[in-house]
Amino acid sequence: MPLAPVLHAEWIKIRTLPSLLGGLAGILLATTAFSAVAAAAGADPDPLYAVFSGVSLGQIAAIAFGTTAVAAEFRGGALRLTLSAVPDRRRWFAAKATAIALPALAVGLLTGLVTLLVGKAVLGADGPTWTAGLRGAVGCGLQLTLMALFAAGLAAVLRSGVATLSVLIPFVLIVSFVVGDLSGGVADYLPDRAGQVALHSTWDGALGPWSGLAVTALWAAAALLAGAWTLHRRDA
Amino acid sequence: MTSIDVHDLTKEYGGRRAVDGLTFRVRPGRVTGFLGPNGAGKSTTMRLVLGLDRPTSGTATIGGRVYAGLGEPLRTVGALLDARAAHGSRTARDHLRALAASNRIPDRRVDIVLEETGLASVARRRVRTYSLGMRQRLGIAAALLGDPDVVLLDEPANGLDPEGIVWIRTLLRRLAAQGRTVLVSSHLMGETAAFADHLVILGRGRLLADTPVQDFIHARVRPHVRIRTTDPAALDDLLARHGLDASRDADGARTVRHARVDDLGRIMAEAGVPVLELAAREATLEEAYLDLTAAEAEFTAQPQEA
Repeated sequence: MPLAPVLHAEWIKIRTLPSLLGGLAGILLATTAFSAVAAAAGADPDPLYAVFSGVSLGQIAAIAFGTTAVAAEFRGGALRLTLSAVPDRRRWFAAKATAIALPALAVGLLTGLVTLLVGKAVLGADGPTWTAGLRGAVGCGLQLTLMALFAAGLAAVLRSGVATLSVLIPFVLIVSFVVGDLSGGVADYLPDRAGQVALHSTWDGALGPWSGLAVTALWAAAALLAGAWTLHRRDA
Repeated sequence: MTSIDVHDLTKEYGGRRAVDGLTFRVRPGRVTGFLGPNGAGKSTTMRLVLGLDRPTSGTATIGGRVYAGLGEPLRTVGALLDARAAHGSRTARDHLRALAASNRIPDRRVDIVLEETGLASVARRRVRTYSLGMRQRLGIAAALLGDPDVVLLDEPANGLDPEGIVWIRTLLRRLAAQGRTVLVSSHLMGETAAFADHLVILGRGRLLADTPVQDFIHARVRPHVRIRTTDPAALDDLLARHGLDASRDADGARTVRHARVDDLGRIMAEAGVPVLELAAREATLEEAYLDLTAAEAEFTAQPQEA
């Protein structure tokens, strides 16, 4: 069974569910709005993070998108219908992850670009350089996509949207705003923090912008593999 | 032609055997009713056939192949397991289009099955606005999407109104007449008797019967004759003299087992016993089924699981 038809089906499922379109819009709106407000308030000394600080909240919309896309399959026996059409579970989950990643990346990159333009307009001469800014925009797109995939993998493990969101949202909020500020070291390797190094113009930890994104990518890959393994092992 | 073959199939959930050494074949060209109380293992068996649950032992194949080995399975097998499978926020048409796309079924089929199940006029409404009967029809539409040779429906008449029940009966008869293999589970006897040619009956995960409907009824239940008279004493005396076993109904009428209307009419006329009513009662599937389950004593004593 080729992948393309399965991917087509999963893409139809994403674009025909209003809550998922809302989640994608939420990524754009939350990130740009909070970034603009923070930039205007001059909250961060780092010129690049002053532009992109809203990503930490945009991540929550990305998590909601990834979670909802997978969790919809665990309601009312939907997964049984899905897997009766596509019995190859690994192939199905690969298609699902791709159908989540592509729109998340497109919206994430657009979000990065809009955030950068708004931030540069607000900050003027205090803003980041174009080179740093574009790296930040790409990093923003990648980080948001990876968080959506991380959530998608976890949702497949937990088989529930409510469970996934009640783990991830407090985690992101607490780690970012409480633990993250207190402790260095280990906290830098957490999925929501590691990728955000790409949104800073300078960094002092072990992770740089690309290695930070790679760490988040590893988290997302681990979550997706765990999700695929759960799907493979359990009765639908 | 495509049969469903279940061979020595067993499924345990945490030590409890939901399906226990089942072997049967569902053949094309007829409607096979899949009977048993709730919790007898009907739905589990269907999930095992569809490769959704993994058997503890044994095999289930469709046309000799395991489900996962079917290339685009919806083109061979259509199934309704749960009417809640469609997402409430999606329209019926989008729900079916996604399903069709996964098996490269043209969108044209989506419109055909929506028409066939009477949902065409509401196809662009969100599924959450549907009644249970409409969701059931949508589930059946999904099962028919790939024009499959094999159709498995789990309790398809749930929530259907009387017209819906007549519709599904006609649909099932037609699918079988087209040479398809049709397996339909139910716990309602009257309904099953109305559409099934053949029966596979489960009790507590085991096969209790695999037999044509008429054979099953006739082997299990003898026909009765109901008699009402103005002179019950004379009737009782007459029946006793002919060695016929009669029971008394609430309204004073007598029900005679193992007897034929033709014989009783003649002997009553000869004896001059007045007849107010003399009627043959056809045995029903329900009676035959209760007779079978009564024979399975352990099974009648058990409370049925939901």
